[in-house]
Amino acid sequence: MSEALTGGCQCGAVRFRAGRLGRGSLCHCRMCQKQFGHFYAPFVTSFEVTWTRGQPKWFRSSNLAERGFCADCGTPLVYHELGGEYELAIGAFDNPVAAAPVIQVNPADKLPFADDLPELPTRMPGDSPKQDAFNARVVSYQHPDHDTAVWPVEQQP
Amino acid sequence: MRQYAIEASGGCQCGAVRYHTTAAMDNAHICHCRMCQKAVGNFFAALVGVPKDALTWTRGEPATFRSSANVERGFCARCGTPLFYNDVTSKRIALTIGSFDNPELFPPQAQDGIEGRLPFFDSLHEIETETTTEQESEAWAAAIKASSNQHPDRDTAAWPPQGGHHA
Repeated sequence: MSEALTGGCQCGAVRFRAGRLGRGSLCHCRMCQKQFGHFYAPFVTSFEVTWTRGQPKWFRSSNLAERGFCADCGTPLVYHELGGEYELAIGAFDNPVAAAPVIQVNPADKLPFADDLPELPTRMPGDSPKQDAFNARVVSYQHPDHDTAVWPVEQQP
Repeated sequence: MRQYAIEASGGCQCGAVRYHTTAAMDNAHICHCRMCQKAVGNFFAALVGVPKDALTWTRGEPATFRSSANVERGFCARCGTPLFYNDVTSKRIALTIGSFDNPELFPPQAQDGIEGRLPFFDSLHEIETETTTEQESEAWAAAIKASSNQHPDRDTAAWPPQGGHHA
């Protein structure tokens, strides 16, 4: 994994770099859930952000904030309170471990099962021959977890 | 895996894309694999399968990104909400649980893609919880509520409402 505070979307059309990171958080509010199609949003306050390839597309989710994503592949990338710092999506970083969340916010909308996820049974390689066979055939068109000089490469359709 | 009848709708944040399903699979799960992480910008994806013949796109059409040869990922081109994982060879499509109007209908039953599970995943539920925005900043919460451009968690006859979205 990369040591740099870089990241981007799944397809690689949008890439970013942060100078330093602030607090990582999980937000349970319903607006964040919808931005990510998820149980919660994982954001880290990010300073000195530059878009090193492409730009996010923005959705003005309220009068006070906008949310950015990749228009080509849809990866949710950023929450931005107008006039404030960027909150970048932790999962979009090349190395999400660099931005571990330390606080949960807006618990009023927290889904009832959100705390029990680590206890879910795991499905490991070997448990499903059909799934293993599928995984073995996958040729990923995902951008790698590091900056690239040229993208996409020619293998893609 | 079992199929069951259900009436459930959902869609993206802005409401440009809406769907309804009349059936679901009892396979709600989370996937930690790195491709799912990137598709949803999150620690894992939360998905539930529905039969393709039970699913109707009731408003708009999702955009797609072909993440690998046989799989496309769907999202709203206007606001970006991740909507599905689609193995194009399968009779089922996996919708993002958080995009449903009532995500609590689909508690996940298993976790996949364990090789990509992030080291802090197991302790996320232990991290400190801050007071709600409602408690901490009443005015801020009220301003968001009054001006939210998010589609409500139900089907609507027309959207956006008269007067349109906030610019």
